[in-house]
Amino acid sequence: MIELNDIRVTFNEGTILENQALRGINLVVPEKQFVTVIGSNGAGKSTLLGAVSGETPMSDGQVLIDNIDVTEKSVHQRAQYAARVFQDPLAGTCASLTIEENMALAYKRGSQRSWKMALSSNRRKLFQERISILGLGLEDRLGDSIGLLSGGQRQAVSLVMATLADSKLLLLDEHTAALDPRMAAFVLALTTKVVKEFDLTVMMVTHSMKDALAHGDRTVMLHQGEIVLDVKGQERESMDVKQLLEMFSKVRGEELADDSLLLG
Amino acid sequence: MSFFAFIGTLEIGLVYGLVALGVYLTFRVLDFPDLTVDGSFPMGAAVAATAIVAGINPWFATLLAIFAGGACGLVTGFLAIRCNILHLLASILTMIAAFSINIRIMGRPNLALLGEETILTPFENFAMDYGLDSNLIRLLVVALLVVFSAWFIIRLLASDFGLGLRATGVNSRMVNAQGGNTALYTYLGLALSNGFVGFSGALFAQTNSFADVTSGVGTIVVGLAAVILGQTLIPGRKIWVAVVAVIVGSVLYRLAVAFALSSGMFGLKASDLNLITAVLVAVALIAPRMKNSFNRKKKRVTATKKLA
Repeated sequence: MIELNDIRVTFNEGTILENQALRGINLVVPEKQFVTVIGSNGAGKSTLLGAVSGETPMSDGQVLIDNIDVTEKSVHQRAQYAARVFQDPLAGTCASLTIEENMALAYKRGSQRSWKMALSSNRRKLFQERISILGLGLEDRLGDSIGLLSGGQRQAVSLVMATLADSKLLLLDEHTAALDPRMAAFVLALTTKVVKEFDLTVMMVTHSMKDALAHGDRTVMLHQGEIVLDVKGQERESMDVKQLLEMFSKVRGEELADDSLLLG
Repeated sequence: MSFFAFIGTLEIGLVYGLVALGVYLTFRVLDFPDLTVDGSFPMGAAVAATAIVAGINPWFATLLAIFAGGACGLVTGFLAIRCNILHLLASILTMIAAFSINIRIMGRPNLALLGEETILTPFENFAMDYGLDSNLIRLLVVALLVVFSAWFIIRLLASDFGLGLRATGVNSRMVNAQGGNTALYTYLGLALSNGFVGFSGALFAQTNSFADVTSGVGTIVVGLAAVILGQTLIPGRKIWVAVVAVIVGSVLYRLAVAFALSSGMFGLKASDLNLITAVLVAVALIAPRMKNSFNRKKKRVTATKKLA
């Protein structure tokens, strides 16, 4: 279970450029729930994920993962609880290392890295098995440098890498935003499949309202650093983008002025 | 070049091969331009020489030298990571501080090891007893130590820990997200690298029977020359290829310099060493690019010919 208590993030505090990116976020994500997070540019979606992963320093608030307070823990200490896939395919993998070396790095997420050989035949077999579910033929190319793969392929591999070690939470930060539509659809379908197979707790940030409603079992909408909508269950099942927007204007008393949210 | 001089050149090339390994670790693996080596090399020599003169077992003295080198690396790491000083500058600070410390260690700027028991003495005695060429035996011992060091690095970089180290130099954000402590990797990488350089200094002092505080000047350039020369001549993405390449590069560099100086055909003097080094490194850096552009031009020419 993930518990976020009154999370506040302020950039450039005390200067003329002061920007309150998050203004008191309270959110409880029960185990095995798949939450999609939407919002327009600057709503604070990625900041929220950064606060959970530890990359963005918080000015106030508390992050609990399975009742463990991780607020004071650094990024690499939180990594044993949370797996991540970044928006930029280049950020989540190490270009000059091979596919299997990248997988070996992810396999050891959250545990001690010792003198043990990173690539044993047992591990290779496991990596082959796991990567074969992609259906991209990468199981025969484990020794290739991961820099040779396309952005979409790299994101797909990143997803597999995120499942190699146990985690309490999977953080997806617009992980399909940099891909072409066909590859984005493939990676999204893969996400759903992987989440189901490993029974993961997920927070997925997306720019597309359609994707946000079509995947997962709860949708949270951020606006100007606050949660404005939180829909789940039956209400969400029958909802389409138009209804979501109507709900937004009812709550906020304003129209959402960001075309990309509607078109995505 | 005489046979004797040739063996001596191979020996010094191998001794500096350890510096090349250290420089490879920082410059190539960690992507951390580290000039500490100009300080950790003479520190290794100073510590080993002082300890040996004080009557300490030469193997233990060498071990102390390795730790002293490693400590230099940790200081650079502290300045760079904890104090947020520009990497290059942090290593320069350690380097100049080490100069004074080295004189403190020895109590004077240089120390002779003539007649002292070094790690090579038993092997030289052995050669003497059996009527073998003691220079060849010495070369063999140095070569074995370098091979062992190379194996250690290859094995280390193939481990889980080594993978974290390599990834730190490429994508530290990703390493953090995978639970790796990049600061720790940088500290240990620097300590390891300078530990090897300290080892090299200790071997240098024992093979040449002296330690001198100025022997560190230009160590980084020699190490870089070996890395660049080796990796240009023996390209390859595999770790073991790169490690072998930098050691071969170090030996070839020494041979090239010895040949240029001894042949006398270019009218070069020993004081021209730095110029030769600079030219060698520049050529090694330019050559691959020249080759590429030449190949491209050739392709274009053949393509136009086909069209015509």
